[in-house]
Amino acid sequence: MTVVLDSPKAVARRRRKPRSWWALRIGIGLLAFYAAVALISFGWTPYDPLTPGIGDGYDAPSWAFPLGTDRLGSDMLSRLMVGTRYDLGIAFVAVLISLTVGTTLGTLAGYQGGALDTVVMRGVEIFQAFPGLLFAMLVVQAVGAGIVNVILVLSFVGIPDYLRLARAEIHAKRDWQYAEAARLAGNLPWRVAFRHLLPNSVGPLLAFTSINAAFAALVTASLGFLGLGLGPNVPEWGNMIARGQDGVMTGQWWVSFFPGLAILGLTGGLYLLGDALSDLTDPRRRGR
Amino acid sequence: MSEALLEIEDYRGGFRTETGDFVPVLHGVSYRLKVGVMTAVVGESGSGKSLVALSVLGIQPPAFERTGGRILFRGTDLLGLDEKGLRAIRGAEISMVFQDARAALNPVFTVGRQLADVWQLHHGGGRKAAMGQAIEALRRVSIPEPERRARQYPHEFSGGMAQRAMIAMASLICQPALLILDEPTTGLDVTIQSDIMELIVELSRTRGLTTCLITHDLGVVAETCQEVVVMNAGRVVETGSAEAIFTTPRDLYTQRLLSASQLVEAA
Amino acid sequence: MPPLGKMILRRLLWVFPVAFGVVTMTFFMARVLNGDPTELYAPPEASDALRAEIRARLGLADPLPLQFVHYLWDLLRLDLGTSFTTGQSVASDLWDRLPATLELGLLGLSLGIVVGIPLGVLAAVHREHWPDFLVRGTTLSGMALPQFWVGLVLISVFFVDFGLLPGPVGRLPIGMALPPRVTGFLLVDTLLAGRPDLWWLALQQLILPAVTLGFSSAAPIARVTRSAMAEALQSDYVRTAIAMGHGRRAVWFRYSLRNALLPVITLIGGVAGHIFAGAVLLESIFAWPGLGQYALQAIERSDFAALQGFVIYASLLYVLAFLLVDLLYMLVDPRIRA
Repeated sequence: MTVVLDSPKAVARRRRKPRSWWALRIGIGLLAFYAAVALISFGWTPYDPLTPGIGDGYDAPSWAFPLGTDRLGSDMLSRLMVGTRYDLGIAFVAVLISLTVGTTLGTLAGYQGGALDTVVMRGVEIFQAFPGLLFAMLVVQAVGAGIVNVILVLSFVGIPDYLRLARAEIHAKRDWQYAEAARLAGNLPWRVAFRHLLPNSVGPLLAFTSINAAFAALVTASLGFLGLGLGPNVPEWGNMIARGQDGVMTGQWWVSFFPGLAILGLTGGLYLLGDALSDLTDPRRRGR
Repeated sequence: MSEALLEIEDYRGGFRTETGDFVPVLHGVSYRLKVGVMTAVVGESGSGKSLVALSVLGIQPPAFERTGGRILFRGTDLLGLDEKGLRAIRGAEISMVFQDARAALNPVFTVGRQLADVWQLHHGGGRKAAMGQAIEALRRVSIPEPERRARQYPHEFSGGMAQRAMIAMASLICQPALLILDEPTTGLDVTIQSDIMELIVELSRTRGLTTCLITHDLGVVAETCQEVVVMNAGRVVETGSAEAIFTTPRDLYTQRLLSASQLVEAA
Repeated sequence: MPPLGKMILRRLLWVFPVAFGVVTMTFFMARVLNGDPTELYAPPEASDALRAEIRARLGLADPLPLQFVHYLWDLLRLDLGTSFTTGQSVASDLWDRLPATLELGLLGLSLGIVVGIPLGVLAAVHREHWPDFLVRGTTLSGMALPQFWVGLVLISVFFVDFGLLPGPVGRLPIGMALPPRVTGFLLVDTLLAGRPDLWWLALQQLILPAVTLGFSSAAPIARVTRSAMAEALQSDYVRTAIAMGHGRRAVWFRYSLRNALLPVITLIGGVAGHIFAGAVLLESIFAWPGLGQYALQAIERSDFAALQGFVIYASLLYVLAFLLVDLLYMLVDPRIRA
């Protein structure tokens, strides 16, 4: 037998796995559900989400309107379904952009080291001294609402985190014998960094991406709630919560309540997925 | 034959995997530690030798499941004790030195404080008196400038110095009847290794300690131990006096171990 | 430990470039992205000459670098300009509103710490058993739910449905006058003014927003405490402590918790920093007359001086929170001094 039997850590690692598999399944399941709802909403919703006056306004949940209607009498379920496109889509695209840009820059900085690394890292540190939500609010307010602007701002806010993560990963592995061997085999430096080193860090990066997407979805909803996101009538979830705010005071709780649940499912699923991925890909992760 | 302080009888158990399968790793381990004698438990990593030692103190990994056997200390079965009973044994009767001393000491407390804490736990008394005992213990294991060293944190100690402090804690502060050393010199420089072994031998002789040295290094064993237990793949393959084991090994595995360590040619 | 003093000094000096960076970023966001604020001041029928005069008065006629120098100079004199909605100096507006945000923020953060750390410990010592699952589920929803929604649900339940707590109308019920400002914290000032009745009212107003804030800050604190504590409990030094005969309680609270709290300290700095950014959302729900509400009004009315002032305030407080945390860390973790 070649396994080291008396290492407690190895044992703990083996024991943690099954729970993580559950979290992974639930996370992927939730994401798939939301993606499916978003796709379905292109072809079918119970009512037209943008048409007011389908109900009388503030209809309580019933068979006709499972999640009730809002103040103007639009169907909540239809609006929620369409909202999935916005909240899921924006988070997805924004995270994709920051992942690509941040990882590239971070890999370069980490592999190159020296002055470039110092300058980039100090710049990142200064940028991160600025609260991300605040930055997003200010820029969107300045450049105006709209999907493209929201996506761009969110991806910009996300870049520094990926940059730091990728840099730390590459920096730690730069002097591996494996990297040395790849260099000796005649690979160009950038090829060593991107083809040989970066793939070793896919686990932590993916785990972080998932958690970052949850953050992006929350910021999207926050911007919508403040009326800074996508314009007033767009059925984005944060927007919908803001529109239901008056109803909450007079007892029509459902208008704000269900969009919040929708957010919980999406971000909760993303967090579960992120936790599971970091457990499964980096079992000896440090307790940060 | 002298009286045994600790007797391990047919100890067996294994690990449960994530799929729920049970993998047995200890297949009935039995050996005895005689009073006042230094016994070595030798085997490769993975032979289960550390697992047995940890089980004596009830600090084996939580995934380990025991399926049978007894561990008798002065006639009581340690495996039948509850948490409270075990705590009365730990440190006071049986104490242990671990492999990587710098990791085995708490990084956020000074070394002196950790020793003093253990002193107070077992012997009571005030904080000041305990710190005095801690410094005395550090001096006894030849740590230079013990007053200053006691105020330092583990990361400020070299590996060898930290192991000396650990030995001071386990033997001089706890004052146990049985001292178990789990690979105490692994990972240290060769010269420091022999210094540490000298310290261990000297301490156990002068204080009449029963000592159990767990190691994969036969060279260390030849110079220090009277009795040897050879373990392989969760079984004891041979026991006997050090002389017998080194000159006339009966078991095939012991012979292989000896030839691998090149002690045969040297002897 | 000789390098400790030097490290602290270096950390303190690092505040200056960071603050400069933050201030520069604010300038560019306010001036460059926000475009020309002349339109806000000029009547629609204003002539070009009048517009030019307004531009000159606002200092917008100068080239950008010169504007930047002016801006820095004003900042050094603590002059944040004049808000055109309130007609007062932004610095004094912010100063008036700071205590409301701080009182709520500090109370919420304390709640988060007081609840989060014990929950994390509980989960860690019962790892993979039901207390752990319960804590993990709760903290997951604490992280995943938007703060503003939690606030609305609490209002809906405790005010609208059961009427147990007062509605979201600010720091005191409508029509109540604030006590004279000494510290600015109502829970202190009401007592100093000898008005325990007001103290009770102020506390009731604070409960819902503070619990909302506490819930969302307890979640990450509990998660980090749990994983750090679980790591500590599996460590070699805890095994040593057990082997030396220490009891379970000593092992948990003396030999693990202190180690586990190190990463938690760092986290608390981040959470504290986010409280000011999150104030914008939270205060809008509870009609809380603090910095966040001021900023939101500034956003709605494009009052750039006010907005810029708030951003500088919030980000400098953020920088300060991180500074405090780093300094605390240096004092608590002996390894960092090596």
